[in-house]
Amino acid sequence: MTSTIDEVFCIHDRFSFGLTENSTDKNNRLFGLAAPDPIKCRTREEDMKRIIALATAAVLLASPMAMAQSGTFRQAHEYGFGAQSSLDPISNGRIFQITEKIMSRLVRPGLDGRPSPDLATEWSANEDATVWTLSLRDGVTFHDGSTFEAADVLYSLNRVLDPEMDSPARSAIAMIEAVEALDDMTVQITLDTPFADLPLQLMDYRLRMIPEGSGDTIATTGIGTGPFMVETFDAEGTTVLVANPDYWEGAPGVARMEIIGIPDGQARLQALLGGQIDMERGITAQQSVMFQNSDRFTIQEIPTGNWRGLVFRTDVEPFNDLRVRQAVRMVADRQELVDLVLGGGGIVACDTPVEPNDQYRADLSCPQDIEGARALLAEAGYPDGIDIDVHVATLEPTWPTLAVAYQQQAAAAGIRVNVVQAPTDGYWSEVWMHEDVSATRWNERPADQALHEIYLSTARWNESFYQDEAFDALLAAARRELDFEARRALYVQAQEHLQETAGTLIPYHVTRLVGVSSRVHNLDEVKNDAVRWHLITVDE
Amino acid sequence: MLQMFLRRLFLGAITVAIVSMIIFAGVEILPGDACTAFLEREAQGRVLENCREELDLNRPAVVRYLDWASDALRGDLGVSANGQRSIAEMVGARLQNSLLLAACALIVGVPTAIFLGVVSGLWRDRPVDLVLSTGAIFAMTIPEFVSATVLILVFSVWLGWLPGIVLTSANAPASEFFPEIILPVVVLAMVMTAHILRTVRSSVIEVMNSDYVQMATLKGVPYWRIVFRHALPNALLPAINVVALTIAWLLGGVVVIEVVFNYPGLGRMMIDAISDRDLPVVQAIALIVATVYVGVNLTADLLTMVANPRLRTLYTRK
Repeated sequence: MTSTIDEVFCIHDRFSFGLTENSTDKNNRLFGLAAPDPIKCRTREEDMKRIIALATAAVLLASPMAMAQSGTFRQAHEYGFGAQSSLDPISNGRIFQITEKIMSRLVRPGLDGRPSPDLATEWSANEDATVWTLSLRDGVTFHDGSTFEAADVLYSLNRVLDPEMDSPARSAIAMIEAVEALDDMTVQITLDTPFADLPLQLMDYRLRMIPEGSGDTIATTGIGTGPFMVETFDAEGTTVLVANPDYWEGAPGVARMEIIGIPDGQARLQALLGGQIDMERGITAQQSVMFQNSDRFTIQEIPTGNWRGLVFRTDVEPFNDLRVRQAVRMVADRQELVDLVLGGGGIVACDTPVEPNDQYRADLSCPQDIEGARALLAEAGYPDGIDIDVHVATLEPTWPTLAVAYQQQAAAAGIRVNVVQAPTDGYWSEVWMHEDVSATRWNERPADQALHEIYLSTARWNESFYQDEAFDALLAAARRELDFEARRALYVQAQEHLQETAGTLIPYHVTRLVGVSSRVHNLDEVKNDAVRWHLITVDE
Repeated sequence: MLQMFLRRLFLGAITVAIVSMIIFAGVEILPGDACTAFLEREAQGRVLENCREELDLNRPAVVRYLDWASDALRGDLGVSANGQRSIAEMVGARLQNSLLLAACALIVGVPTAIFLGVVSGLWRDRPVDLVLSTGAIFAMTIPEFVSATVLILVFSVWLGWLPGIVLTSANAPASEFFPEIILPVVVLAMVMTAHILRTVRSSVIEVMNSDYVQMATLKGVPYWRIVFRHALPNALLPAINVVALTIAWLLGGVVVIEVVFNYPGLGRMMIDAISDRDLPVVQAIALIVATVYVGVNLTADLLTMVANPRLRTLYTRK
């Protein structure tokens, strides 16, 4: 019985995919003139959303408007890498605000955050999850007119894996040993270790497909398969993108995009308020009051996996004592930190780097426990408390506030915190991973990657110098486990183990506030890299 | 006169050289370099070594300075550490934009300032003078970034009459900067006007009280003839120096304004270069600003000498 219901939902699923878009081409697909793309069935809840989308689309279709692309959508980028800025999706200087619109991945996050088809339509693994086979989407062309096929996938992935490239994206897929083409439309990926969640890794926001052999020019041409094409690239000025009418998911609703380099955060805010740009992702809690009660803007609240915290090195006195590590984390009143530092814009974390909406997030609780912390410290031989220097810098504007708020909370348990302001310049090279206690920040990553990159004994960025064989073994077992529930249990266990033993205080994950002008419509209220840019429209 | 001129020129050159050394040393002393600034967390081990090798950061600072200085003397400002683009090319458009901003501010600011200064000097202690003088003190003392933000809030966010920040790209022709350039020009002109106004005002008051003006009044020369023929030419002399200083201030001091308004000029480029630790670019911009500063002051001194024969004799006799 359930299966029939699912079947029905699946049909709707396909229809709505065609309907939420505006081109006549898509309407052909809706009426069955072109074969729908194979789309896996997802949860019923999501299917309900799709039905609603179908209904909305039907109303839109009934109106006589034949919608072509129109209008210009404007957005700013930070110009954070100065003259090194580039359109190469895997370089350090990539401008994400542009690459996200011009290039596609093999797999992308669906609206629920799980892997969903992009340039790869289907994937499967062998029994021990070491060999993966991906089918590629037919009939996709690059902006320069060439056809997308297996050779491009081989080239793009091997370029990331090339040690000479030094790409920061390499760590996301470091387990890949070889990429081969079985035929023009099928790719086989061999791993050096069992890895059941390869599709999650391929979703990485940097792993975008570029044409074979384009590595030397991609930094300025930006040729991809995305919904928008680069017309002019000017990193410090205005980069102009135009709609790609041949985009595989349907022609975009917006004719033109301008991505403008505005390094100063205040200036970006002014530009949004003054109507010179249409969207800004980095609104702070303090700034968001300026948008409340305004009919010219809406604020989207997007939970993210980005976190800030304090690292206590587990290899030095007194934090090499497990009890001290537990005590320094136990004194934190995390909800209060969210309120004080983020103005309420965050979700409490219990020292797990795994983001709140991740399918592997452990459901933990971690109330403040001053008495418990005192007892642990006494037991460890510090009945009179301890003195610690916490190093911060204004590199991350919330660090000083976080450190001072923590100072107040920790004082109650006899932990005397001295907040040391280090210079922003050279913070990562001379303070972080050098001083005993320092502030840190990480951007979101899939659960497995976050746990590996920050806590594995051998990890390059093992910032707390955490050495735990039991933890390493749990991660290895999880990667090997093909059964989802069993795998989930292992990841949850690994996080529980961290909560017990880690040296890193992760009080919260940050909720991103996105300010959007009310002239923009259909902007998915999801994380950055899951937005479907071809759907948005703007009022003239 | 010529000897005098050459001496001043020589002193100016030494000033520029010293400035360039101080800037070089300053950026060198800061923790971190172009590589750690760019690589952030990646700045470790082999990656860092490769980067330093590539950007030629491994040689001693003195050698790098001398190399750069000898190239600069020949007019070659080198290539930027980041992105390896020719600095002369990068700076060219930016310098033009900064000059455009400065020129607009001068065209608006100087005549206004002189006019208002004369008015408040002639009507000393009357209501109009009180209003102008008090206004000038406010305009001088409120920091530019505050008045800039207030103006953006009022004219761009609330009223929606003018664009709040500049989005035109650095290489665009001058005409495309309108109307975006209006707010930055107004802010700059406000500060500038205040400074010049106060100098002109006190100078007008002084001249109007001088013996020869009293003599002319007693002789029965009409009031406006005294003002225009006899008083103003002398009263405006000190203004030349203030205007020159203001031009120099405009080139260096617009940094804040350029950042607040996102204006693609030399100032914002300098800020970007400092955060990138792009030493060659910082050096080149500092050199240009220092040269302009020295040059403008030199010109102003010469102009004053031409306009006022008394100064000429004073110097040559020494």
